[in-house]
Amino acid sequence: MLLVLSFAGTAANVWLLSGLVPWFLLPDFSFLAIVYSGLFLPGPLGFLAVLPPALFREVTVTGPPGTFFLASMAVYFSASEIGRRIFIRAEIFWFLIVAGLLAAESASVLLLLILTGGNPFSYLRGAEEAVRIAWTSLLAVFLFMDLSGRWQRIQE
Amino acid sequence: MVKFLRTWWRLLLLVALLATGIQFFVRPPGFSLTPFLGEIGASLFRPVYGSIDFLRRGISSVWSGYFDLVHVKKENAELRKEVAALQEKLTESRDAVLENRRLEELLRFSRARETRTVGARVVGHDVSPWFQGIFIDGGAAAGIDMGMAVVTPAGAVGRVHRTYQDLSEVILLTDSRFAADVIVERTRARAIAEGMGGNLCRLKYVSPTEDVVRGDRILFSGFDGSMPKGTLLGTVVSVDRPREGLFLNIRVVSAVDALSVEEVLVVLSRPAIPFQRGMP
Repeated sequence: MLLVLSFAGTAANVWLLSGLVPWFLLPDFSFLAIVYSGLFLPGPLGFLAVLPPALFREVTVTGPPGTFFLASMAVYFSASEIGRRIFIRAEIFWFLIVAGLLAAESASVLLLLILTGGNPFSYLRGAEEAVRIAWTSLLAVFLFMDLSGRWQRIQE
Repeated sequence: MVKFLRTWWRLLLLVALLATGIQFFVRPPGFSLTPFLGEIGASLFRPVYGSIDFLRRGISSVWSGYFDLVHVKKENAELRKEVAALQEKLTESRDAVLENRRLEELLRFSRARETRTVGARVVGHDVSPWFQGIFIDGGAAAGIDMGMAVVTPAGAVGRVHRTYQDLSEVILLTDSRFAADVIVERTRARAIAEGMGGNLCRLKYVSPTEDVVRGDRILFSGFDGSMPKGTLLGTVVSVDRPREGLFLNIRVVSAVDALSVEEVLVVLSRPAIPFQRGMP
């Protein structure tokens, strides 16, 4: 399910909707799949599940080679650690975890771009990025509710 | 010690991954860790972008065909008149036609000699918030290599950043990592153009004594060997003269809107200065 989500979501965003829908309204499905793998799937299964979405991000983000694969793995281990240390009681936790990880990743890349001599920051860009983070995090909550509902039905 | 490692190995691995990621970001290694994996990823997405491109072209041709039919009768009558007028002009200007042929041959020669190009279709965009890039459906199989310039008849688009077998990533000239040597067309003043997001670039290192005004066209100088000489970058939209500071603040709007461009040409000449893998 996570593999399908990351492949179909990334393909739809990059090859189908890009140029039609503004970038900040396109949720990062691969990122969501990575976070869910870290939170839900323990052990080697989670590690295997995170490889395809990390690869999809590496291929579809035009950053320096290798960096987004490594960053995705770092997000996976962060989510895994959060899943072990925090008892997630309500939907707001999902929202905050995804929003926090997305914001941390975004701020890190922005800082690195500035340190390497670029100047990509503008207030409009910042506002758009805030919309993207909020929108992806909100979708993460609904997606979690849907997935957990499906899982319960399978168990019953 | 073992207990500590067992408890915190994820965090330690996380720190190691981040440190390696930062190192790759700031100073990409001479080798790529993921060429094989990247090729697999690109192959997995190949049917998606191929079929979506096919659908887009189909819909576009049906739509334009319909409009052509609606206007065909009126256009036919106008074209007949135009053809008659052109035939008269053609007989009057035989000398000009011959000269034109000679010039055309020269042009063909220079094209074959200096700027061999290959056409490619834009199949996707980078939707990440940090980088501005597009994906084109030509890759290493078509002779496209890292660092090659990507242009349209309207102006420059960017530079090839990474290639796969039949897919390439192109960094747009509005990306913050893009920089190239440029000149002002009217006054020949030199500067360094740098992407600044949106549809804008900034010109760096232009002295306040230089004559640059709003509306000036900016061309690539070709001195750094990265972009073809004389290719249009864009038009100056604002020039601020700071009270303090050594240089002018100049903003340039790109001549090509990367979001609406559908086909591009890749200049198949390798840049004079070799590009380090991963650096735009």
